[in-house]
Amino acid sequence: MVSDRVKRATGGVAAGVLGLTMSWIGVSAPQAASADDPVVFTVGMTNEVDSFNPFLGIEAESFEMWALMYDQLITYSPKDMSPQPGLASDWETSDDGLTWTFTIRDDVKWSDGKPLTSADVAFTLNRILDGGPEAATWGSYLTSVDSITAPDPTTVVMKLSKPNAVLPLLPMPIVPEHIWKNISEEEVKSYANEGEVVGSGPFRYVSGTAGGSTYKFKVNPDYWGPQPKIDEIDYVVYQADDPMVQALKTGEIDFAEDVPPLQLKAIEGEDGIKTVTGASPSFAEIAFNTGSVDVDTGEPIGDPNPAVMDPKFRYALGFAIDRDLLIERAYQGGGEPGDTIIPPAYSQYHYDAPADLKWSYDPDRAAQLLDEAGYKMGDDGKRTMPDGSPIGTLRLLARSESPESLHTMDYFQEWLADLGIDSEVTAMESGKLTNVILDGDFDAFQWGWYVEPDPDSMLSYMTCGQRGNWSDSWYCNPAYDKLYEQQHAELDDAKRAEEVKQMQAILYQDAPYLVTAYDSIGEAYRCDRFEGFVPQPNPGGILLFQYGVRSYEEMYPVTHCGEGQADESASASDGGGLGTGAIVGVGVAALAAVGAVGGILLHRRSTADERE
Amino acid sequence: MTAQTSTLLAEAETEANQPVQRRSGRWRYIGGKVLGSFGALMFVIVFNFFLFRVIPADPVRTLARNRLVSDKQVEELTRTLGLDQSLPRQFLTYLQNTFSGEFGLSFKYRQPVGEIILDRLWPTLLLVGTSTILATVIGIYLGMVSAWNRGKLVDHMSTGFSLTLYSMPEWWLGLVFLAVFAVGAGPIPKLFPTGGLHSTDVDPTSFAGGLDTAWHLTLPVITLTLAYLAEYSLIMRSSLLDEMGEDYLTTARAKGLRDVYVRRRHATRNALLPTTTLVVLNLGFIVSGAITIETVFSIPGLGLLTTEALEVPDYPVLQGTFLFFSIAVILANLVSNLLYGLLDPRVRL
Repeated sequence: MVSDRVKRATGGVAAGVLGLTMSWIGVSAPQAASADDPVVFTVGMTNEVDSFNPFLGIEAESFEMWALMYDQLITYSPKDMSPQPGLASDWETSDDGLTWTFTIRDDVKWSDGKPLTSADVAFTLNRILDGGPEAATWGSYLTSVDSITAPDPTTVVMKLSKPNAVLPLLPMPIVPEHIWKNISEEEVKSYANEGEVVGSGPFRYVSGTAGGSTYKFKVNPDYWGPQPKIDEIDYVVYQADDPMVQALKTGEIDFAEDVPPLQLKAIEGEDGIKTVTGASPSFAEIAFNTGSVDVDTGEPIGDPNPAVMDPKFRYALGFAIDRDLLIERAYQGGGEPGDTIIPPAYSQYHYDAPADLKWSYDPDRAAQLLDEAGYKMGDDGKRTMPDGSPIGTLRLLARSESPESLHTMDYFQEWLADLGIDSEVTAMESGKLTNVILDGDFDAFQWGWYVEPDPDSMLSYMTCGQRGNWSDSWYCNPAYDKLYEQQHAELDDAKRAEEVKQMQAILYQDAPYLVTAYDSIGEAYRCDRFEGFVPQPNPGGILLFQYGVRSYEEMYPVTHCGEGQADESASASDGGGLGTGAIVGVGVAALAAVGAVGGILLHRRSTADERE
Repeated sequence: MTAQTSTLLAEAETEANQPVQRRSGRWRYIGGKVLGSFGALMFVIVFNFFLFRVIPADPVRTLARNRLVSDKQVEELTRTLGLDQSLPRQFLTYLQNTFSGEFGLSFKYRQPVGEIILDRLWPTLLLVGTSTILATVIGIYLGMVSAWNRGKLVDHMSTGFSLTLYSMPEWWLGLVFLAVFAVGAGPIPKLFPTGGLHSTDVDPTSFAGGLDTAWHLTLPVITLTLAYLAEYSLIMRSSLLDEMGEDYLTTARAKGLRDVYVRRRHATRNALLPTTTLVVLNLGFIVSGAITIETVFSIPGLGLLTTEALEVPDYPVLQGTFLFFSIAVILANLVSNLLYGLLDPRVRL
């Protein structure tokens, strides 16, 4: 009882001390150089591997592990993530696009010494084709595939019922038939794939369990590709960004994955550390309810505001968004302004809007377009519907777990207010938001998508058929759907790219999404230990957790920053540790003061209470 | 905690006031408590299933977003997770599983929930268990010294110290320790690792591995011990103060007993009762882990497992961990109920 009252009294002081400490997390660290044999590369990350079984996991970390352990038939180029040879050294398509023939390398061995042949490839692919958990993960890559056979040890033949433009992209890890044939479909559901793992990739799994906090890999000496220059990789999971960044400073780890922009800024220029902000193929958008319907009956459901159902209204708002400001304030500089659903990282598919259509921050143009569309300013300073009725208040939904989402919608509300449109922001947890979207009870919300190297799946989310499923804007445009079907069967790459761009042009003017930003991922590494990472996309991309494992194959150990590189000016940085001692001193003094105050308060209380 | 303690006291007193025959009364008391605990457990088992299904998120959509494009893929996933069945059917499967000691497969990790809980249990036990024991021992001692020297400098120091630590958020204390002792600040060198349970290259079951684990756990254990300390020292202090006004101590002194002896043999023994209840009740909470400290020091314990599972939401894991936590708390309550009757001779059973 006494404790409660004193707790309140000390709270304020404690908060003050807290402020002090927060400002001082950012101390320079002694640097432990280690030039041991073997070369161990230690990576810190903030998320666990959820399964080493390539048919089960979903986290990016798991995909990274599988790519180390197994080979893929086709991999992605570091430059723009276009398909390039993996286990398949070559492939060809019949003229009608219904037969694909892959030539499999003949120099690949499993880690138990058995040769890897086309039979293993066919086994893996057929397993996915047969349904079950394997199909849940990888099935979409084998759309309209009828059969997969291995007529000889170096050939795999795939027969299709309809042409599929996503091929030859086949990113599923190829597993050894002689191991996996003994694992039934029921067993696959819970098969951990830990312990003795037989793989063929550049590294071999040594230890670690799904959900655990460390994973170890050793180089595969029999790897068919370029031999990596590192011997071991250790992954360490940190549960918070701050300790991970501290560990990078002390040298406990060599690489920190997914560092938030603020943390990245704090360590920029530190001795021995290099920071990278890499383009990640994902975007964030403000999406509208373009007209929610019951998928079965076609009857409208929910209650979208008629204004947001009008493409002209939505397109006009594209000029109301100050994307540069969003990047600076909401994203702390961790991103690029965006406008279409295929990020520029995929240069061959990205659509660049012509200058006269292209969105920029231009409130006057937005106002003018709204006027033209009939949303005129009323006497009360509020815009009205074309029929003169009030627009009402637009409901903007943000995801409560994402500060970027909240900030974006707060700014959007202000910009709408500047145009004479009322709105209110409500934050909710994304699980709840999903339900609200499916019920159609919203006008706009903020979210984002991760875009795969092949644009097909992202494009499909905007088709009529995805309404009630993955479509969250309820967008439906037959012209768009027609182009979607067309590009899906288009075998000429150039033509397909043209169609994909046309689809984005349609979306640009219909504006179900106002894409606001292309996200980026912060990475930092000890440039006094390792160099030679290959960004993806190149230039401007991320260094690890890419599509493929090129960085691990190319990187090499160094002894000081700038080694092996042409023009690297040594970055002068010091003074991080300056004043730390003083601050610690202040902190200790504050603690002592608080303690004394608490003691005296308690003393007063107890004497008053007990000497009655 | 205090509220629980006082209800417990009240209960014990009402029981004591009933002038029933002693033997049958005791058994009735014990039987009643055991039955009550069993009832609570049954309630938890049923409640658990529905509690997590109230979360508005759909695990299939969380797991499939951005990954599974076609309806067919989503269907396959739903079937794999067993969510294609009707709710009553799922409930029945859950009951069958639970009563045969199985908790199903985690949605996220696709491993048996029992195994995952066991994997995560020992880091939590090491961390929270050690801290609780240390905090109990040190806290009781501090409380005792404070009370006996009431109003003197020692009292002010120790009470002020524990209150300050009590009022600090434990994650913040952890971050401070991390920045000072795991990174190094000013003249203080880097002494401890920044996180994790043990280094990647040691076998945790070997002797060296044990030392390594102890080294990794030093900072988090100190943090938690400091955070927990006040709870014990304050209770111990106030209950000893209550005893100090009692006549029997005057009697003891009048008999010519030395002060230390009066304290140890008479006052402390009686003052330990509320503390014992607190300790036993807190034992039940050890397994639920310390989410914030597990986060700051990256220790893969049960607290973290639960928060991670909430994001999906991973029903089997949540059901498993909550059932496990509930069992621990119910057991601890039962034990403290029974212990109280044994320890306090005034509670006649």
